Amino acid sequence: MSGRPKRLNHPKSVYVVGLVFKIITLTVIIAVLYHLTLSHHGPNLLTPLKTKIEEKQKSEIMEEVQHLEELEVHRHFHNIAPFPEMPENLRPVCFICHSDYPHSKSKKVRAMLNMHTQFFTCEACHLEEDPGLKVVFNWYNPQDENPKGPFFGTDYDSETGNLITVTDKLSKISVFYKKGDKLESTIQMQDAPIAIDYMKIRDKLTPDQRDNVKKKFHVRIKPKGHECKKCHDRNSILDFRKLSFSDNRRVDLEQLNITGMITKYEMFYLPNLFQGE
Amino acid sequence: MKHINHVRITLYFSLLFFVAVAAFATSAYAADKENCLMCHKYRFLGRIDEHGKKRNYNVDENIFNNTVHRNVPCRDCHTQIANLPHDPITEEVNCGNECHIKPPFSTENFSHKKIIQIYNKSVHGIKADDPEDLKAAKPYCKYCHLNPIFTKVEEERVASSTLRRCLNCHEEKGVSQAYKHITHRLRHKTSRSRQEIVKLCSYNCHENTALMARFNVSQESLESVETYKRSIHGKAVALGSEETADCVSCHATSSIHDVYKKDEMMSTVNERNLKRTCEQCHRDVSDEFIKIDVHSGITHDEKPFLHFLEVMLGFVLYGTIFSLLGLAVLETIGRKKDGIKWQIREGTTWRGISKRGF
Ligand code: HEC
Ligand code: HEC
Ligand code: HEC
Repeated sequence: MSGRPKRLNHPKSVYVVGLVFKIITLTVIIAVLYHLTLSHHGPNLLTPLKTKIEEKQKSEIMEEVQHLEELEVHRHFHNIAPFPEMPENLRPVCFICHSDYPHSKSKKVRAMLNMHTQFFTCEACHLEEDPGLKVVFNWYNPQDENPKGPFFGTDYDSETGNLITVTDKLSKISVFYKKGDKLESTIQMQDAPIAIDYMKIRDKLTPDQRDNVKKKFHVRIKPKGHECKKCHDRNSILDFRKLSFSDNRRVDLEQLNITGMITKYEMFYLPNLFQGE
Repeated sequence: MKHINHVRITLYFSLLFFVAVAAFATSAYAADKENCLMCHKYRFLGRIDEHGKKRNYNVDENIFNNTVHRNVPCRDCHTQIANLPHDPITEEVNCGNECHIKPPFSTENFSHKKIIQIYNKSVHGIKADDPEDLKAAKPYCKYCHLNPIFTKVEEERVASSTLRRCLNCHEEKGVSQAYKHITHRLRHKTSRSRQEIVKLCSYNCHENTALMARFNVSQESLESVETYKRSIHGKAVALGSEETADCVSCHATSSIHDVYKKDEMMSTVNERNLKRTCEQCHRDVSDEFIKIDVHSGITHDEKPFLHFLEVMLGFVLYGTIFSLLGLAVLETIGRKKDGIKWQIREGTTWRGISKRGF
């Protein structure tokens, strides 16, 4: 033993070099394994297993929906701009069953009504108001208790004449009950007990039962929302100024002014739009 | 009663529409003088249709104003619309419509008719005797061309000296746009990148072998994406090359839409035309050169020697890696057996004395 020279520690740099070599070796090994197992350049040893697993998880409905969405991009032609979406769990209960495009029945207005869901909550039009309480419209954003704006569509860009571009694209106009100084939301959220309960059991319900449950969500919901004239009128139920719409914008919305030339709103007001179909 | 309501609605809106059109016929808002964007600028203008398909009718005003069609009035393309709110539209836009715009130096209204004629003759054009599913699978104008957006091209060919001479007679705005319009097209065949072209042709279409197989295409054609990606062209493009051939480089002339099957005389990859096609990029193209298989599959039957080489290379690769790994493992096992411990200290990875005494 005594004859052996004592070994010294390596300098730190040697460990660094060693580490680099180990990383390279590991990378090569991983690449080789990938080449052997899954890469379509190699012998594909594990590809059958992978396809088998994928096949099991595959949903034809899901695939078709995705495929259609993709084709829609090609069909649409007018470049669809990306638009932020509210996270699923922060949406009101209505979205458990309805989509952003809930209106489909009446040909003349369905697309127009769906357009309004971008900046209104469903309740803003569909709330069966409690006659004893005063309702107030205000901007609402589940991610922000006191949204400040500037909000979508409240003003024009003076340069282009287009609507101003805003960062807050998710706030919507909603309806509140005024109780003293406080505003009480009328929206049922997905964390309401009834919603949580429903999500738990929804796959087990028979169609009849489901129909019954549906009614529970619709207790304070009118089957038909407000008519156009309720809002697009000088005596609008909306206080456009308080909702921070600019004067230009307010006038255009009150009169639904197609060109700025026609000021007779009565021409646009279609008292019988909702009958028939 | 029902009926009357609808007649009235339609009347109101039609009247409104045409008053609006008349009033604004001389408006400065170039394309949207009829204010279609009043509704269509909204993101959720749309519906789920009877077949469960989501249909979105949004036209983003800021994007539209930057597209090549920004001066074309909506109804030049959407000719079916006559009143407001309009009924569901059942007919597709015909890209061959004439629009109310005269290009510079032209006495005729602009239209895409010429290129559509070329396209219709090509392999992608719908032929009368095509089976229905083939008709449905063929790409239509919109499949490849989403309303093109103006991109600012840094164009070195816009020589300011040349342009200045134009300005002796012409107005600056018009002529510099026209000049750029032309010089921009002198660069590549298309303004898309090589990578975008490859993706456009393969994704959803030529790469979808299940779909392509339905239409009795040749085996070579079925494997075309796979073999292209393995080829030197495909690899260079995948690595970002802007010089290497993409699909359109070889399969079409500058008209881009004239893609034909290989055995047709018109095809750029027909034997007779191959030389000219390769010469677009390669110098000194010989008769031997054009025999090189560009979409080369390396199978045992097709190319036994190359296939053999490929297998041997595989053996060398795996052989080296696994032999080295095997040696390292064997050494480790051996030393552990001998009772020597692992450590990273004092100049060695192994510590202790072997049971065998050294
Ligand atoms: C449990 C699923 C579910 C939830 C949650 C739900 N709905 Fe519905 N809703 C339905 C179904 C199913 C229909 C029937 C659809 C039809 O007839 O086309 C319906 C119909 C409606 C109708 C049309 C009324 C009628 O009687 O035809 C309105 C309005 C409506 N929902 C609004 C809402 C609003 C607002 C909310 C959120 C507060 C909501 N719904 C939440 C399932 C639901
Ligand atoms: C701008 C006001 C407005 C808003 C916002 C609105 N609705 Fe409606 N909704 C209406 C009107 C008006 C009708 C009646 C339409 C008719 O007569 O066809 C209606 C009808 C419906 C119907 C049944 C008729 C149909 O077209 O299928 C459903 C379901 C519905 N709304 C769901 C919703 C949901 C869910 C939301 C929230 C995402 C919502 N609505 C938001 C105004 C509105
Ligand atoms: C609850 C109130 C309300 C009801 C009901 C309503 N709207 Fe609106 N509408 C609005 C508001 C607010 C805007 C503007 C929102 C924005 O841009 O931020 C708007 C925008 C519009 C616009 C776009 C105007 C523009 O210049 O941008 C049209 C068109 C329109 N509504 C038509 C209708 C029609 C048709 C109906 C009936 C089917 C209707 N609205 C019902 C509140 C309403």
